[in-house]
Order: sequence, then structure tokens, then C-alpha cells
Amino acid sequence: MSSSAKTFEVWNRRLHYYLGLYFLFFLWLFSATGLMLNHQAWFPELYQRTQSSYAMPIETPAGDTVLEQTRDLMRQLGLQGEIDWPASQPVWHIDFNVSRPNGSTQVRADLNAKQAFVRQFGNGRLHAFQIFHTFSGSRFNQPASQRDWIVTSVWVLAMDALAVGLVLMVIGSYYMWWQLKNKRALGLAMLASGAACCAAFVGGLL
Amino acid sequence: MLYRWLRNLHLYLGLFISPFVLLFAVSVFYLNHGKLRQDTLPPGETFQDLRLPDGFDRVKGREAVERARAILPQVGVSGEIGFLRYVASDRHLIFPVSKAGLETTVDVDLDARSATVMRRQMSLWESLAYLHKMPGPHLVAIRGNWIGTRVWRGFADATIYLILFISFSGIYLWWALKAERRIGLVLVTAGVATFSGLVYVIVR
Repeated sequence: MSSSAKTFEVWNRRLHYYLGLYFLFFLWLFSATGLMLNHQAWFPELYQRTQSSYAMPIETPAGDTVLEQTRDLMRQLGLQGEIDWPASQPVWHIDFNVSRPNGSTQVRADLNAKQAFVRQFGNGRLHAFQIFHTFSGSRFNQPASQRDWIVTSVWVLAMDALAVGLVLMVIGSYYMWWQLKNKRALGLAMLASGAACCAAFVGGLL
Repeated sequence: MLYRWLRNLHLYLGLFISPFVLLFAVSVFYLNHGKLRQDTLPPGETFQDLRLPDGFDRVKGREAVERARAILPQVGVSGEIGFLRYVASDRHLIFPVSKAGLETTVDVDLDARSATVMRRQMSLWESLAYLHKMPGPHLVAIRGNWIGTRVWRGFADATIYLILFISFSGIYLWWALKAERRIGLVLVTAGVATFSGLVYVIVR
């Protein structure tokens, strides 16, 4: 084996467990929450949440767009999170929801009365933990939805990095396995059976 | 002995679930960054003289879904029923039926004993995202009304359990490499710091 091939083999093996160790907690979070999402019956009290309401005076929000005005209102109310707006707004109102894994806030801002009516919902710890799995601020089947909180973008970057890390680990593991000549036959049988099962679902046979 | 057994299990079980891991990993990009194109649905196909179960105005939940399933073979559709919508004013029953690659909407006229079926092909990306999200947390009472979804749930669970086994066995295999312990500990610490820092910033 040439020295460059040897170097590649050593670094490929290192990359496999370096990536695995770095992403360990991310992997455990997405595994545990994936199991929760598929077995909601195991958590009958998951969606119990606390609720509180209050009204608060506001200044006329600064900005030319609804997003800018909403951000200014959030600053005034001390809120942070992903924003979404209802399909329609009452006249002289800016209504919006702000959400994070540990809760959400519903704001009905009356610009004429300079008053905001706020309802806060607090999620339980387990529910908040589960939401991390899906907290991307964007839904592929809702073209209008988009991320508007920098922290969500960073979390999405972490999700993407984990996905890239997993792909690299899997591809690297194929190389390491192929170098073990006495394990090729059984390994091939395992890989082929896994691939066949997976392909049956992707192809819509099952 | 334990080391050898764990290394072999880590390898062979890892190879078996690797296509599923790739599916879950690759679909993340579509779920995070993709947008579904709102294509116009092709014209529907109409089926007449159907043998329809009764009671859709009374029954709900799993029982209603079981009755709706009796209609599917008559209109050449298979898959998971998403939900049921009974429109009392004109006695129509409308429900989506999905599986990877195909989303179908079935609109049944209960009085005319006819049904209109509209099919929409999913892209490969959408199919992967669909599988990633199934069975999911919604409408738990009726979810898994198709054998394919129940089997997929089994594979999705097995992927998680095997990933957990592979991560624990991986820690054991790494710890056995004394020369790699220090750098490994640095990486675990860096990973924990990144993870807990992000979680803190999101929930604080």
C-alpha cells in the first residue's frame, strides 16, 4: 500500500470516530426525540402547558415593513423567537405569534390604542425537548414560511452539519469495511438487505 | 473477546442500517431548505357503482378509517389515510392517501356511489422527507392504518435503537485506542459545549 493510501486510511478512520464523538449529543437528541415523535402514546401528558395573559402599553412600532414593525414590537415586549403572522390582519393591528421550543407567545397589538394583548404559553420540559427535533422555522409544504430568527438559523446549521457528518461517517465506514477482505461477504449481505428494505419504502412498494 | 464481538456487531449492524441513516440524513436538507412546488393537479379519474360502507355520518376515528379503507381497492389506491373529512351538506367523504412517491386525494359521493381520484407524484426529495416524518406525532389514533406505515415505524424505531447501540459501542471501541483518548475527549467536550450552548441560547 502506498504511503498516501495509508495516510488516507488512517485519517478516514480518525474522521469516523472524531465526527462521531463531536456529534454524540446531537445524535442522541435527534434519536430520542425521533422515538418520542413516533410514539406519542408513551407520553400522555406531553402537551400540558401553562398559560398567562397580560396587556401592555406600546409605542408606535418603527419600520416600513410588517417584519420590521413586528421586530420593534418584540423588542418593546422583550420577546425572542420565530415569528409567524395570521393569514389576515385586522385594521390598525399587528398580530403575530412568536415561538421557541419552550413556549410560544400570541401578540395582538392594537396600534390605535397603543396597547398589546399578550398570551404566553409555556411548554413542559419534555415537550420543549421534543420540539428541538423539528425547530427549523421553515416548513417545506408551506412555501411562505421562512426563518426570521438568527438563533434558529444557527440551530438549522447544526442540523445540517450533523447530517453531513453522518453521510461522511457512513461513506467512510464503507471504505473501512471494504478493506477487511474476510468481512466483505457477510458485510455485503447486511448492506444489501438494508438497502433492499430501504429501497422498497422509497420506491413506494411498502 | 468483548472487543471483537462489539467491533463485529458495530460493523455489521452499522452496514445494515446505513441506507436508513443516509435516508434520514439526506432528507434533512429538504426538510430544512426545500420548498414544495404547488403544481396544478392533473384531472381526476372517476369510479362508479362503488360498494360503500355506511355510517360515515356517525362513526369517527379508527372505525371511520377502517370503513374508508374498504373503498380503496375499488378505486385502485393503496397507502396511509391521512385524515377523513365528511361534508354533511352534500354527503361527500374526502380523504388523502399517501405513500412515498404518490399522494392521492379520494373524493367520494356517498349518494351517487361514485368517487373521483386525483393523484400527485412526489419527487424523490419529497418521498425521502415523507418517510423521514412518518408516522410522526399527528392524529395518533388513526396513524398506522396501512401495513406499510406500520412496517416503516418498525424500521424507523430499529434505526434509532441501532444508532444508540452503535454510538455506545463506538465509545467503547474508541476508548480502547489509548493514543486517541485525549483528542477524543477534547472533541466530546467541544461537542457538549456546542450542544449545550445552542440549547441555552434557544431556550433562555
